[in-house]
Amino acid sequence: MFANYVPVIVDGLVDAALIFFVAVGLTLVFSVARVLNVAHGSFYALGAYLSVVIGMWLTGHGWIVASLAALLLSPILIAVALGPLIERTLLRWTYGRPEALQILVTFGLFLVLEDMQKLIFGVEPYSQDTAVQLFGVSHISGIVYPNYQLLLIVLAIMVGIGLRLMLRQTRIGKLIAAVVADQEMAQTIGIDVSRIFVLAFTLGVLLAALGGALASPMIGVAPGLGAEAIVLAFAVAAIGGLGQIEGAALAAILVGLTRASAIYWAPEFQPVVPYLVMVAVLLVRPYGLFGSVGLRRI
Amino acid sequence: MLRLEKVRVRFHDQLVLRDVSMKAASSRTTVLIGRNGAGKTTTLRSIMGLLPLEDGRILFDDFDLATVPVHDRARLGIGYAPEDRRLISDVSVEDNLLLPAVALSFAAFERKRRLDEIYALLPEIAVTRKRAAGVLSGGQGKIVALGRALMVGTRYVLLDEPFQGLAPVLALSYADTLARLRQTRPSLGLLITESTPKLLEKIVDSSLLIERGEVTELTKLIGSHTAAAQ
Repeated sequence: MFANYVPVIVDGLVDAALIFFVAVGLTLVFSVARVLNVAHGSFYALGAYLSVVIGMWLTGHGWIVASLAALLLSPILIAVALGPLIERTLLRWTYGRPEALQILVTFGLFLVLEDMQKLIFGVEPYSQDTAVQLFGVSHISGIVYPNYQLLLIVLAIMVGIGLRLMLRQTRIGKLIAAVVADQEMAQTIGIDVSRIFVLAFTLGVLLAALGGALASPMIGVAPGLGAEAIVLAFAVAAIGGLGQIEGAALAAILVGLTRASAIYWAPEFQPVVPYLVMVAVLLVRPYGLFGSVGLRRI
Repeated sequence: MLRLEKVRVRFHDQLVLRDVSMKAASSRTTVLIGRNGAGKTTTLRSIMGLLPLEDGRILFDDFDLATVPVHDRARLGIGYAPEDRRLISDVSVEDNLLLPAVALSFAAFERKRRLDEIYALLPEIAVTRKRAAGVLSGGQGKIVALGRALMVGTRYVLLDEPFQGLAPVLALSYADTLARLRQTRPSLGLLITESTPKLLEKIVDSSLLIERGEVTELTKLIGSHTAAAQ
């Protein structure tokens, strides 16, 4: 009986892990800078593209195990190259301005990044599943699962806990939390708020790109990836309560499990399920599961 | 010496400070007296760099602060306790106190030294140091905000309406605390805003009156407070 649910749970958690990387970055950037970045999904797509291209190149030269490193290296490259640049030039300009303007500017950025991606990587789908093959498979209640998928779940949990520990224990984390709580107070006690903005945004880019890179061995990497990621991440961040790490984690699991359930039992509903969950949660708790009016913490 | 020279500040199209000139000396307690809306908070916020000056200068030991960003003013040794406390509610009292030390990367011994000094001066918050700042009463919160200002404020400490909203007993004990602070840190310059300065009589060295954004010096201190506040 229970065995029937195992595939749903595993698929759901894998889905949740990937959404979590994108949603938690979105929520982090929002809580620090108070900007909902529509272009956030593009970093997911770029992470996927770059790691596939580097991975193919490395595999082509016979460095098969090294292609795994591409999954971690490409998000870092993207974050370092784009994070500070975009924050300093474009995003900074939208702080404290009306939401409509922030959404238009970041939507413009999304279109630019989307076209850049097509110019650089073309429109043909890529696939590069060396990582999935390298890790082999496991048998759970008679069903075969790629170990890579199980590893993803573990990685997402580690990133979630790591982020929480970073915010609680490290110097930078404490400063980020202070800026989230009260930007003006943070300045008067000696925190260089503009530096924290760059750091938090770059960290958000890193997380989204990491999500894309880790997803890439399991999916066909093609145009449209970024749009799909951002819409789901929005839903998850809204369900969890914008600005809440634990909220994003719980919401990602909720959406992942319901999406997987829909695929098994009502496939025609699969695309709308996340939004039905979102509507249901927001009707009962308008600020999301972990959010509340005026709450300023992460 | 902290000196304002013809400082003019506009806020929402309203001239809030009109050519304010005043000074707060080190080793002295300066009280800025005025009713609500007179520009007391605006004066302190301008010194911290939170509001842009339309005209005039703010000098720190003859050094113009115009180009010094807000976060570097803490580094100069200016501590600020806003009227509404501004503590991080889900963080412990001790971590709130230490936040400036973390931001300015003090060495561990320096952190410890200053923290011990703050606890010695403010024993009432030493007992609550593990508690979340959000569960404190308004009065305790004010004292924590003072402690946090003292963490960086080695040269000057700016207190915005410290007695506002305090129960009479707490206000008295807060005033005693300030008197003790005056003794333990004789070189510190204190700039305090108040609408009812009676509680500060014991420690005040210089009283300034602010009215509709204009500051005048009150020469006769004793007995003039009540007249000034009216």
